[in-house]
Amino acid sequence: MLAGNHVTVRYGDLRAVDDVSFRLEAGQWLMLAGPNGAGKSTLIEAIAGGVPCTGLIEWEGQDIRRLKPAQLARRIGVLSQRNTVGYAYTVEEIVGLGRYAYRAGFLSGGSGEGREQVERALAMTGLTELRRASMLTLSGGETQRVFLAQVFAQDPRVLILDEPANHLDLKYQQHLFSLIQTWLKEPGRAVLSVVHDLSLARRYGTHAMLMNHGKCISRGEIGDVMTPDHLNQVYEMDVYAWMQEMLAQWN
Amino acid sequence: MNEARALKRERFTPLTYAMLAAALLLSMILCVCVGSVQIPFSDTVTAVWNALWGLPIPQNIAKNIILNVRLPRVLCVALSGAALSLCGAAMQGLLRNPLADGSTMGVSSGAALGAVIAMAAGFTLPGSGYGGIMVTAMAFAFGSLVMILSLAYALDRSLATSSIILIGVIFTMFISSVISLIITFASDHTRSLNFWTLGSFSGVNYDQAGILCAALAVCGGVILRFAPELNAFAVGEENARHIGVNVKKVKMSILVTVSVLIGVCVSISGTVSFVGLVMPHIARMLVGPNHSRLLPASLFAGAIFLLWADLTARTLLSPVELPIGVVTSLVGAVAFVIIFYRTRKAG
Amino acid sequence: MSKKIVSLFLAAMMMTGCLTALAEDAGIMVTDMHGREIILTEPAVRVVALQPSDCEILCAIGCEDALVGIGQYCDYPASITSLPVVQSGADTNIEEILALNPQVVFMNDMAQSEEQVRQLEENGVKVVVSSATDIEGVYYAIRMMGHLMGKDENAEAVVADMQSTFEEIRAASADEGRTVYFEVSPLQWGLWTAGSGTFMDELASICGLTNAFADVNDWAAVSEEQVISRDPDYIVTISMYYGEGPTPVEEILSREGWQDMKAIREGQVFNASDSNALSRPGPRLKDAAVELYHFLNGTEEEAVPAA
Repeated sequence: MLAGNHVTVRYGDLRAVDDVSFRLEAGQWLMLAGPNGAGKSTLIEAIAGGVPCTGLIEWEGQDIRRLKPAQLARRIGVLSQRNTVGYAYTVEEIVGLGRYAYRAGFLSGGSGEGREQVERALAMTGLTELRRASMLTLSGGETQRVFLAQVFAQDPRVLILDEPANHLDLKYQQHLFSLIQTWLKEPGRAVLSVVHDLSLARRYGTHAMLMNHGKCISRGEIGDVMTPDHLNQVYEMDVYAWMQEMLAQWN
Repeated sequence: MNEARALKRERFTPLTYAMLAAALLLSMILCVCVGSVQIPFSDTVTAVWNALWGLPIPQNIAKNIILNVRLPRVLCVALSGAALSLCGAAMQGLLRNPLADGSTMGVSSGAALGAVIAMAAGFTLPGSGYGGIMVTAMAFAFGSLVMILSLAYALDRSLATSSIILIGVIFTMFISSVISLIITFASDHTRSLNFWTLGSFSGVNYDQAGILCAALAVCGGVILRFAPELNAFAVGEENARHIGVNVKKVKMSILVTVSVLIGVCVSISGTVSFVGLVMPHIARMLVGPNHSRLLPASLFAGAIFLLWADLTARTLLSPVELPIGVVTSLVGAVAFVIIFYRTRKAG
Repeated sequence: MSKKIVSLFLAAMMMTGCLTALAEDAGIMVTDMHGREIILTEPAVRVVALQPSDCEILCAIGCEDALVGIGQYCDYPASITSLPVVQSGADTNIEEILALNPQVVFMNDMAQSEEQVRQLEENGVKVVVSSATDIEGVYYAIRMMGHLMGKDENAEAVVADMQSTFEEIRAASADEGRTVYFEVSPLQWGLWTAGSGTFMDELASICGLTNAFADVNDWAAVSEEQVISRDPDYIVTISMYYGEGPTPVEEILSREGWQDMKAIREGQVFNASDSNALSRPGPRLKDAAVELYHFLNGTEEEAVPAA
């Protein structure tokens, strides 16, 4: 459904993303991994329309740059690395914003279907009871859950996650990833996520792409990509030995 | 625990609006009845009532003062207050910055500079003596807004609260000195520096009230229509893009609309500071941050506040009139410190 | 009341000044309007005047040739405008003044700092403060300048001329309790009037009028409804007319809500031909008084009572 062909993003002389191609099909969870500064987040921003790029990004054969922002939002939802809210919005209001792309005219505030989607998103993320709470009173983990609920309410076909669990504790990480896995079970959906934790990537991903210095080093099914050889090459260290050593601490 | 964290206020409060509307109406009536000249209440009521229904008005002092001095002034004050407050609310949402406002960001000063230049150069549009000044003020307001935002972006991509205000303050100081320079050379053609920096509603008429009303109807309608987008911006510009807001188009539309409104207000009454900063905060306390409620509430709150400020300005030292900006700044500066302190603590 | 005390004080100062001048035969000595003693060995022949009124006085007493520099707002008489112009007021530039090599600088006492005065005096330039706030003060300033410039007789003549004109107008004008409203800044730009303690207020009383805003001090912004309710007999505006749109008088006559005022109904609205004559502490106050008298009496300029 989503494909990139020779995507390049330049920041001045720097090629943050350098001639990268990828494919994402329904049912897949594509894990994007690589060291800091590899260009993972930039690639995601390019897909979401946040930075200009050359090359072609296609949605079912159609250039996504030709889609209107609302059309794009109905197809692709993005959960950012970190979200903070400055005003005392309620949880429900933030989640309700996910329905923005479906507004027919400026008078149609919430259609029946829209309300249902919001309810479902709240229920899925376990926020129903917190619906009236002010965003200013929530913890980091709760805030991230609210924005996950927002992107669920947005009901996109592809969910893009930029290190969504980066600063969350283990319990929330696990919770978040299993929520997304549940979401992915519906047919016609796909996930593209940037992860730092290679174990998480292995555990949840179906496909993977390794990046370094803006280039794609390897892509394909998760088992074929996340091999010791590839990882060592990308991270420029003995990744496998390091993980063994970490695991040994528990035995 | 969740109960404790749930917000106490109701989701939708027609009662709040009814109270705001009643407060506005009462304030307007009070401001028509009270002034530096004391006029019996019955005369006031007769004058307004008869004028409303086209009945002959008894010839007395009340007629001229009430109908030709106070009423147009009260209308202009209420409309300007509503417009400035709405602009403040829109900018605070759009820039996700609780201290944003035409006066703190230097937009009003920019508009004033435009108006001063137009007056000094005698720039008029065919058919309307005042149009040229107003259009120049709008253009300068927009120019300043774009300039301040680009400077702030260059300094700090996140458009943090303090950097944008810092630039606004420096810009305002710079513009004030340019204005005083122009006034020095063309003092006979333009209003005094006091007018441009502190504002005044002295001598406004029904034509100006009509212009304000039209501008508020059009621009206010546009801004109110953007309430969902403003909510998205208030949460974050990146998030707004992700949920499908046409970020560039919406931002540009709101900035232009706000500039037009501020340009109109400034060319009629000079820079009246802090209305747009303080009143949206009061409104937010009453109805919460959701712009579909916040924007209408700001309209009311701004109108009420400016009515009271103007009443103070024209009665406190009667027969001498204070510049209205003195009153609003007195209240506003204190509020500014409180808001700044609270945002610092929160963020 | 306080004005009278000031006048008495000034008169006393003047007398002592003259007495000391007599005593010190060799030099000229005056007390300036800041209470400082100024001593010159001989009449000044090179002077800079920063205030427009001082320029007018100097020219009126026949010292135009001694002027070597003028402040930036000095514009009367027209013949002086070709002289070198220096910054005045808050922007006073000491170097600019010194470059003109004057013996005496006439200035107001508000704008200049002690520091600047000291700098000038250290460079051998006498600083004389002239700051009249009423007509008596203007007389004092004229005599003081006349003495310093060695033109005592001319100064006395100018003062006598002013005094006799004012006396004649006073004699010809009966105080019938009529009121006048002076409009310093028009409605469109926010109403400002001249209250008590202004020259306009003094001129009004010479002409037998009461200032409608005598309860306001100095120049002040007043509310439009107050003007309407005080309903003055006369309105005097000092707005300038630039040849486009309605004249200041036409504009006042056409104001919404003003139409029932006495002055408007009777057409007693007057545009002073020169706002500076009405507000500058100089000899032209006399001309302003004469103009005001003719307006009040509907007489022609030729029939000057003083002539």
